[in-house]
Amino acid sequence: MNTKKAIVVKGLKKYFKKVKAVDGISFEVKYGELFALLGQNGAGKSTTIRVLTNLAVPTDGYIEVAGYDLLKDPTNVRRNIGLVAEKVILYNDLTAMENIKFFSRLYGIKDSISEERAKEFLKLFDIWTFKDMLISKMSTGMRQKVNLARALVPDPKIIFLDEPTLGLDPVSTKHIRDFIVGLREEGRTIVYTTHVLHDVELMNVDEVAIMSEGKIISKGTLKEIKKHFKKAEIVEMETDETLAKDKIKGKILIQEGGYLKVEVEDIGEFLRDVAKLNIQIRSFKTLEPSLEDVYVELSEGSDNNVEKGMRNTLNEEVK
Amino acid sequence: MRLWDIAWKDLKTFLRGRTRVVFSILMPIILMIMLGFIFPKAGGSYGGSIGVYSKDLIFNSKVEKSLSNTAASKMIFYNSRQDLINALASGKIVIGAIIPKDFSLSVALNRSVAMDVIPSPANPQAGIMMSQMLVGVFGSEGTKNTKRNVVKSKLVNADGTAFNYYDFTVPGLMAMIAIMSVMTGLASSITRERELGTLDGIMVTPISRGSIVIGKILAQSIRGIATAMVILVVSWLFFGVKFTGTSLLWTIFLLLLSTFSFIGVGVMFTAAMKDQETAMISMTTITFPMMFFSGVFFPIQQMPKIMQYIAYIFPLTYAADALRKVITLNVGWNFIWMDVVVLICFTVVTSAIATVSFQKLTQD
Ligand SMILES: Nc1ncnc2c1ncn2[C@@H]1O[C@H](COP(=O)(O)OP(=O)(O)OP(=O)(O)O)[C@@H](O)[C@H]1O
Ligand SMILES: [Mg+2]
Repeated sequence: MNTKKAIVVKGLKKYFKKVKAVDGISFEVKYGELFALLGQNGAGKSTTIRVLTNLAVPTDGYIEVAGYDLLKDPTNVRRNIGLVAEKVILYNDLTAMENIKFFSRLYGIKDSISEERAKEFLKLFDIWTFKDMLISKMSTGMRQKVNLARALVPDPKIIFLDEPTLGLDPVSTKHIRDFIVGLREEGRTIVYTTHVLHDVELMNVDEVAIMSEGKIISKGTLKEIKKHFKKAEIVEMETDETLAKDKIKGKILIQEGGYLKVEVEDIGEFLRDVAKLNIQIRSFKTLEPSLEDVYVELSEGSDNNVEKGMRNTLNEEVK
Repeated sequence: MRLWDIAWKDLKTFLRGRTRVVFSILMPIILMIMLGFIFPKAGGSYGGSIGVYSKDLIFNSKVEKSLSNTAASKMIFYNSRQDLINALASGKIVIGAIIPKDFSLSVALNRSVAMDVIPSPANPQAGIMMSQMLVGVFGSEGTKNTKRNVVKSKLVNADGTAFNYYDFTVPGLMAMIAIMSVMTGLASSITRERELGTLDGIMVTPISRGSIVIGKILAQSIRGIATAMVILVVSWLFFGVKFTGTSLLWTIFLLLLSTFSFIGVGVMFTAAMKDQETAMISMTTITFPMMFFSGVFFPIQQMPKIMQYIAYIFPLTYAADALRKVITLNVGWNFIWMDVVVLICFTVVTSAIATVSFQKLTQD
């Protein structure tokens, strides 16, 4: 291995005719790191993953995965990676175990070994009893767990996870999130994409790159990204009535009816102003800036509806 | 109305796929043009030499002397039944007539007599027409007052059983059905995996793209073998197709080879198609015309010259030709080697192209 980096991406571009799905991104992932690609729908996350996993040919750029040049030595790259894509990679007409064994064989792993490993994962996911069930008979959550096992049984050094919790209930989501964090603890390198900011914060990722319209608009550790906002404070407040925008000093991050989230320079001054309005305050708290605030701040100017959509997913998530 | 909504949605989604639309317009055009042109105008003409194996010694000398020059020049005499069959297999003659021992005597005595006529398996139409002509020619060689219908012809297969049209179509149909099942199987297996996303799952593993194609081909070949077996049993049970040990082995070999020869084309097409429906339509666009061009139902020799050249592009033409020779004439390697070589070349070339095209097309 000629580098200590698990992934090196330089100036990666992927165009579909006129659509610039990925438009010149660069980043590096160290071995053992949990790296998150965060972005709204259509930001280019999946396209990036497809290029990195040798499923799509880049329009331009240099890519190194597991120490091998992806374009020159794709087979060696593929030996070291595992993928959980947006679509579940399983055959409906095969059972969980048959699926896992089939895909493991393509890595040259014997059935006896893959069965042993599959047992470990399926037990961990609480679906060991369903090992001989056809995938077509399984629920979405069960499928996704088998899918994860399928990707992990060949023991890849680097694992790409493209929104692995999509469509799962909060309990399963937490289960999988914790599991991924556990994988990092084992020393695996993980590239994880999501549009749910909450996930990234909860998983305490090592590094996050925020993508928007094919570009990385911000990159760094969670702390680094949040640091930009340290000078100000975030106030979250619920009132009976909607506050008039011009009465509030500070930068409004979210305002939905009586709910207000605002970034203020001077919290004392803000409180005095609110008091003057003479309205009923239901709750009030100050927060550290969350990644969501960072995101809203960064993607300002880009499509507002998308942001709203994202907030809604976040709210559902919390409920 | 709701049912109209369903119909409208179906049409709309259909129109979204450009390749799909192009092929569904092309298909009827190609079909109509072909069907309009492969059949000769006004019945066409039947030409070619006539093979004669005569057990009647008097007949030979008499015919040679008295036949008009034009008729005699078209006649070739053979010394054994097998020579006659070999000549049919190599395409030297269009029909083979077997003159019975008592032929001349019967004609002289005005006694009705039948000769066996074996039509060329490649062109039974011509065989049937020419056997009628032979009846007239040979019949008039008797005494002046011969009754007109004293000589009869009996269309037979090489083994002496009665000939019927199935004997001409069944070998071609066998190859056709085997090819079709493999092609549709391939088309759906690749495009379905692409749509489901499992193809991605295979492609991220270290397995080479080439191995994926070969693996797929292997599966379809095994399917092809199974289909071929069903076809063999059905043609034996329902169509009276008889096999000898060697003809059975040749038949199996040829059925396999013809499915192989088409797999490459199948992969090329399906690799280029993004969804199942497009793959199906484009498959039909080639397989359906092929069925008519390859002489499965209608002899190539009877098609206009240009159409004949087109017919020789399709591997099915060679497969059907070889199968017919093997099944109806029970001949072997010496008469089908050219067909076999062409099929093998076709298989190798298309499989190579398929492997390359698959590699390119699976990465977008
Ligand atoms: N095969 C394709 N052909 C044309 N355009 C494509 C193709 N795949 C993706 N795109 C476009 O590329 C852009 C990025 O898509 P991508 O799927 O990478 O986004 P994403 O970040 O994964 O979004 P999501 O969160 O919705 O999964 C989008 O504008 C999309 O329309
Ligand atoms: Mg995506």
